[in-house]
Amino acid sequence: MFFGITSVLLIIALNLRLTFGRFLKHLPEPEREISADNFKEYINWIVRWKLSFLRLKTWDRALDYLINWAKKEYPGWAAWVFYGLVLSYAYLALSGFIFAWFVPRGLFGFPLLLHVAAGALYAICLTIILFIKARVYLPDKVAEKASKESSGFYCPFLRKSWPRPYFQAAAFWVFVLAGFLLASSTLGSMLPYFNYPAQIFFFHLHRWSALASVLAACLAIDVMIVE
Amino acid sequence: MSKPDETKKERRKINWQSLRSALTLFFGITIFIFVTLQVSHLLEARSRGKKPQEVKVKAEEKSTWSRSEISPLHRIPLMDEFNQKIIPAAPDSPPLSTRYTCAPCHDYERISRGTHFNLKDRPASDRRTEPFVLVEEKSGFQLPISFQNYPGFWSPEKLGLTSWQLVNLFGRNLAGGGLGEPGEKDITPDSRWNVSGKLEINCFGCHNKSYLQDHSEWVKQVMRQNFRWAATAASGLGEVVGMASRLPETWSIIDGPNPDDHEWAVAPQVKYNQNLFDSKNNAVLNLGQPDNNNCLACHTVTARKAASKAEAEMDVHLAAGLRCVDCHRNDLSHEIVRGYEGQELLSSGLKVDEFTCAGCHLGQKPEKGGFGFTGKLGAPRPAHKGIPKVHFERLSCTACHSGLLPQKEPQEVYTARANRLGIFGKAHWTSDYPLIVEPVFVREKDNKIYPERMMWPAFWAEKKGQELIPLKAEEVLKAAPEVFNLKENVSARLSALLPLSSAEFYPALVVADFLFEPNADASLDAKRLEQSPLSGRSGYENFLLVQVRNDEVSSLIPSFDPEEAPAEVEDKIFQILQALKSFSDSREPVFVVGKYYYRVMEGYVEKIEKPGQEAAEPGIFWLSGENFEPLFSDYEIRTLVALGQGPEVLTEEQVQLVLKKLNSQQPERQVVYVASGLVFSLDKNGRLTTFEHPAARPVSWPLAHNVRPAQQALGKNGCTDCHSPSSKVFFGQVRAVSPLKSERGQEKLGADFMDTGHLFQFIFGFTFLGRPYFKLLLAGCVLVMGIIIAAVVLKLASRLAGIDSNSHDKTGEK
Repeated sequence: MFFGITSVLLIIALNLRLTFGRFLKHLPEPEREISADNFKEYINWIVRWKLSFLRLKTWDRALDYLINWAKKEYPGWAAWVFYGLVLSYAYLALSGFIFAWFVPRGLFGFPLLLHVAAGALYAICLTIILFIKARVYLPDKVAEKASKESSGFYCPFLRKSWPRPYFQAAAFWVFVLAGFLLASSTLGSMLPYFNYPAQIFFFHLHRWSALASVLAACLAIDVMIVE
Repeated sequence: MSKPDETKKERRKINWQSLRSALTLFFGITIFIFVTLQVSHLLEARSRGKKPQEVKVKAEEKSTWSRSEISPLHRIPLMDEFNQKIIPAAPDSPPLSTRYTCAPCHDYERISRGTHFNLKDRPASDRRTEPFVLVEEKSGFQLPISFQNYPGFWSPEKLGLTSWQLVNLFGRNLAGGGLGEPGEKDITPDSRWNVSGKLEINCFGCHNKSYLQDHSEWVKQVMRQNFRWAATAASGLGEVVGMASRLPETWSIIDGPNPDDHEWAVAPQVKYNQNLFDSKNNAVLNLGQPDNNNCLACHTVTARKAASKAEAEMDVHLAAGLRCVDCHRNDLSHEIVRGYEGQELLSSGLKVDEFTCAGCHLGQKPEKGGFGFTGKLGAPRPAHKGIPKVHFERLSCTACHSGLLPQKEPQEVYTARANRLGIFGKAHWTSDYPLIVEPVFVREKDNKIYPERMMWPAFWAEKKGQELIPLKAEEVLKAAPEVFNLKENVSARLSALLPLSSAEFYPALVVADFLFEPNADASLDAKRLEQSPLSGRSGYENFLLVQVRNDEVSSLIPSFDPEEAPAEVEDKIFQILQALKSFSDSREPVFVVGKYYYRVMEGYVEKIEKPGQEAAEPGIFWLSGENFEPLFSDYEIRTLVALGQGPEVLTEEQVQLVLKKLNSQQPERQVVYVASGLVFSLDKNGRLTTFEHPAARPVSWPLAHNVRPAQQALGKNGCTDCHSPSSKVFFGQVRAVSPLKSERGQEKLGADFMDTGHLFQFIFGFTFLGRPYFKLLLAGCVLVMGIIIAAVVLKLASRLAGIDSNSHDKTGEK
């Protein structure tokens, strides 16, 4: 119950915040403020945007965009690893959260089997991506990159833009750390070394790591992928 | 901007506004539904944890417990049913009455509402327990009867069984009281309560610690309808002779012994053991908390495959030195803690949750938070290492820990109440029927899976519309005695051949791979032969008459030259032919040897020349006209071969014959036979067909014992104990066992009773073959990720601490 409500609120809040920030950023600088008018416009904007996904064309465009982005960021075979990560992650997140929110029994049956299978793919892809990309998000590299980019992520409260590399690094490392915890908790619950309280701990660790991972993924989409 | 453009923009704005409202409404409703669902789940979870509001009157009377942990020696006067003190030395002393003997100190009325006595008014929420099974072996009846209202259980009211009949049928395992003490409205015309007396609560049955306490004696007295004498006899306080069942209906205890009959209709009398009384005529009784034997008299369950007591397993708790009553406790209310989660006690002050598996082994969380203590009675706290949490939500503790270990098929078991275990005497009391198997894993209403014992009802019934109404066994037996008495008829003919056998030998019959011997019940016992001359042959000519002594088998039919027949042989032939005449059925028994046959004519044996071919071997036949028919018919031999050694008592052919007879007797009704999970009936052409019906479905009840040691719990060897493509738990074959030998019986997989789906369990089980590799892969990923993350953390830490090499470079301090 607590997890259900918290996760829904956090995911909605983060996405509202990210899209609202993105909306404000497109306004002329003097108009970038939290106001009822802006909020109304934002609602109009976001609804229009969401509705555009009712058209197949938008999906096509989004997919093309993602593929191009992946090819640029992950040249060669690495792009396939990225696709594997995206696909497995999408299923993991959807199956996990939908069952957690709407099915009291939790994940079970064939969706659970697929969840486990997708989990394996996710763990492998994440490890490879980490291996390839870790150096890009090392602290000094991030600081260096941030020094070259003064704006990027707009904060409407402080009315200031922050360098995006910091947020990209944060999203990446939180996503990786959450993935690490997700894999560890899965592995832990399967090993014959941990007793019942540990199993309970692993279960909760898995859930909350998944939430952290989804939040990090949302942030990553905003600060890394979508221009 | 032109005007049409403005109008267009205006329209779009309006559209957007309405769309926005619609979307706001949509999101509002979605959030509302989500929150409502979550809150309802929370409330449901809370209500599950909390007991429902109940109106119950807890007894507030002063406790009778002195606070001493010892059980006092009971030096008490024994009272009879008229509340008069019994003088053991007096002639014609009456039997004791527990109602008046125990009542001065113990509240008999309150106790009589306890679990063992109050079968009729148990709480509706009470988990179902083993039913009584109405068994009539010869006609293939095994009908589960219970006052508990669960599908498949037949209520006594529906079957028209009165308290009197129930006590007579099942009194051997009743603890007295309840049904045994009927009220005025329960006294039916068929009853003989006045003669038998009431079956009062047998306090001694559980509490008497004397070595003289004898369950078998209780059974004997109940079978003799000596209800009011049963407790006295079973306790060993007195010896009871006589049988109330043989007394006329008009007899009353006040009439005393029958002076005219000392052999047959002898009124029950007690002869007290005066060594058990003091000089003041008070009985000196060793009473206390029940010992295991007291409980096991009615609650034993044993695997049929256990050939001797040495092979039988023991409950781990008893092996550890615990007694049944250590967990199954009760206070004065005698409402027994059954030990399952969620039991509701109506009048007991005990807290059920403390005595469940989890109560002792995990400890209960106190109501106001904090953690409870575990280890009651030294219960070890289980670690359950490596077992995912879902198992504790979806399985009962017993699923992994109790009952027989799952095999390819559930195993047949004997239970004390159903199969009459624990009754000792000259006769062999243990009955093969009903056929009960365990473990079958069944999903119950609480969505948890429990190991259960299961049986398939078998009965003859009249089909009225969609309803099946069981017939009485007597009616069915009467309709087709030759079908049901097949073994008895064969046995009788074999017994008639006794004069032919040598000293200490007795006649028997070899058919196919089996040796059939007459038994004490005038039926047949079958033994499988290691080597049989008739192996694989089942025709009517393929039987062999033999004589048997222990394991020694030889030919029964003497071989001799009929021209010079010894007088003693001819005398034996005369005797057997004479004996066989009673089964002749308008035919004549004859003994054929060579070209002659012997027959009995006017009290003499006569040798006559046989028409036709000379007999290759001597034998016994029926002469019908000019035909020589074999001693045992094709149908008899066929049926014996089909039934063999198995527990079944009927073949499809026999069922077909009986149905034809029953239907022809009353053509307006349709009679069917329910067995093996199906209903067998005759089609228009008189052939046997089957259909499914709810009344034919198996009935099951959760089992709790024997609890196996933790080392033998499912899962101890890993997940594949249950999760594999060849899992015995999910893919074990659950075949209907019933009195009917048929290939058409219901057959299901274990997964069917759990509602888990075959395909899913198969694939899920299959994944466990690759599970070790999956773990290795995951471990590899975790290791690599861990190393990289650790390296980054170290780098970040060193940077924060100012010892990073790059920062040194920048400052030039290197």
